[in-house]
Amino acid sequence: MRIVIAEDSTILRQGLVELLTFRGHEVVAAVKDADALREAVAGHGPDVSIVDIRMPPTHTDEGLRAAIALRRELPGCAILLFSQYVETKYAAQLLADRAGGVGYLLKDRVAEVSDFLDALRRVSDGETVLDPEVVSQLFSATRRTDALGGLTPREREVLGLMAEGRSNSAIAAELFLSPGSVEKYVTSIFGKLGLPPSDGDNRRVLAVLRYLDS
Amino acid sequence: MTSPDPPHPLRRIFGPLATRDFRAEYLWLWLAAPLTLFSILSFIVVLALGLWLTPVLIGFLVLAGAVFYARGLGAAHRRLAKALLGVSVPTPRRPELKPGLWSWVKARVGDPAGWRAVGYLLLRLPLTFAGLFAVFSATLYSFAATTYAIFWFPLGERQLPVFEIRADNWAGALAWSASGLLVLVALPWVTHAFVALDRLLVVGLLGERELSERVRDLEASRATAVEDAALRLRRIERDLHDGAQAQLVALAMKLGLAKDELADADLPQVKDLVTGAHANAKQALTELRDLARGIHPAALDAGLDVALATLVATSGIDAQVAVDLPRRPPPSLETIVYFSAAELLTNAAKHGGTTLVEVTEAHDVLRLRVRDSGRGGARIVPGGGLAGVAERLRTVDGELTVTSPLGGPTEVSARVPLPR
Repeated sequence: MRIVIAEDSTILRQGLVELLTFRGHEVVAAVKDADALREAVAGHGPDVSIVDIRMPPTHTDEGLRAAIALRRELPGCAILLFSQYVETKYAAQLLADRAGGVGYLLKDRVAEVSDFLDALRRVSDGETVLDPEVVSQLFSATRRTDALGGLTPREREVLGLMAEGRSNSAIAAELFLSPGSVEKYVTSIFGKLGLPPSDGDNRRVLAVLRYLDS
Repeated sequence: MTSPDPPHPLRRIFGPLATRDFRAEYLWLWLAAPLTLFSILSFIVVLALGLWLTPVLIGFLVLAGAVFYARGLGAAHRRLAKALLGVSVPTPRRPELKPGLWSWVKARVGDPAGWRAVGYLLLRLPLTFAGLFAVFSATLYSFAATTYAIFWFPLGERQLPVFEIRADNWAGALAWSASGLLVLVALPWVTHAFVALDRLLVVGLLGERELSERVRDLEASRATAVEDAALRLRRIERDLHDGAQAQLVALAMKLGLAKDELADADLPQVKDLVTGAHANAKQALTELRDLARGIHPAALDAGLDVALATLVATSGIDAQVAVDLPRRPPPSLETIVYFSAAELLTNAAKHGGTTLVEVTEAHDVLRLRVRDSGRGGARIVPGGGLAGVAERLRTVDGELTVTSPLGGPTEVSARVPLPR
């Protein structure tokens, strides 16, 4: 993969570059702030960008705003947001364009190198990847609402794993189910959430978005 | 047990004349009178000059100078009062001077201490004349009348040039002397009466500013302290984020990479060590993240609404958050309201039922309401969670009210005044 990194902490930026290079990826640019990120993405057209949420000058949500702006300018450009904390609202803003190819992960996840690289690859393939913690937040936030009230606990579990960006076969492995029954659950979820049959991945994203909207 | 001898009757009568206090008060009346007279006359001259010159603007400078001068005159009186009367009043605080000539003029002209000194001088002027006249007359009369009996006999004086003191026989002269002595005995009391009024004026007008202004000062300095503490916590959190947390993430990342690389190697001990270190690093990261969140939740940078929504989502408490603020409160207030809400939410979660968190603003007062439909019966007990919240709110003049009838619902409401 050709990757752009925007991370203001030197040690993390260098660490990521080392890690990705070591695993055979090409880091085409490693920058420190949102402005440089825009230039790098426009100039290099990477497969995916890793963007820290907190960057100079205010160290609040520059990365998020830059990501949203980038996706408006270059629809479909894949971005993995990277943060020390997960905040539901940020996830909702990031996913608002409903286009896929976005991810939102805790920085801690980089410790599990293979999982991290897998998430990165899925984002570059246009999937949506949310941190398990974001997903659990969404579950607790939507527990009381009726939007997902029709789902069985098993279906919620499947939906949660879908929100993390897992494929059907990965969900099957995680829940010790057969791929066929996962397919059944997914279809049932789409039906209960009133998502019309269309491109499968798009429906997956929309299903995840039901969390955020509810 | 022996009781001290009662003082000699004569000593009782004339004693006050010999005390240091009397001498000092007597001297005060004599010395302060010309000082006051000079002060007020010179002040009027400077003030008039200032008023006369206001059309040419330099007059404002002179006016400011006049008030500053009045402050100095007050200080002179205060020092004399301290030296002679032992009245010790704190020096009034200097007005807050901001850079710029015009600001200086405004601060100086509006200096309350200066104008209070002017008030002091104006009130003291009649008092000083009355006092001086009374004491001067009493002194003169007592000396003239008391000694009249002595002079009358050898000199054959019939009439003194003062107070129309005259007697045709020695017995009459003795009567004059007796009256002179009476006045002499009364002199310390008369002096003391006038000086007592003076003391009141000094304490009332030349001292530290009024209590309400002092309270305003304290409020301002406390607000600065609270704001400073909030800023410092924010900086600590940022330093943690940029320093220790980044280092730990990099460490965990490298250990993760090492673990993966070792997967195929035949080094079971090394594998175990690296796996253990990797787990330790991840655990440390989680703990550090929780610690940083307790110091200053990063979500608070985006506002109370985001922070509270994130808090509810993370804590897993069944709650609805409604934040409706037309403007962002100062960071310190946001922090205090956030942590108060966090504590109240935890409390409400114990009661069970759905919790509603509401933050609104009306008439420069921020209102935080946390309502739950639990069983009620919540009270503020010393050392309890609610008492902690009340204490936290008090640092910004906030107050906490709890309505919690048995059987519920419970509503805890906090009111925090916002700066205008």
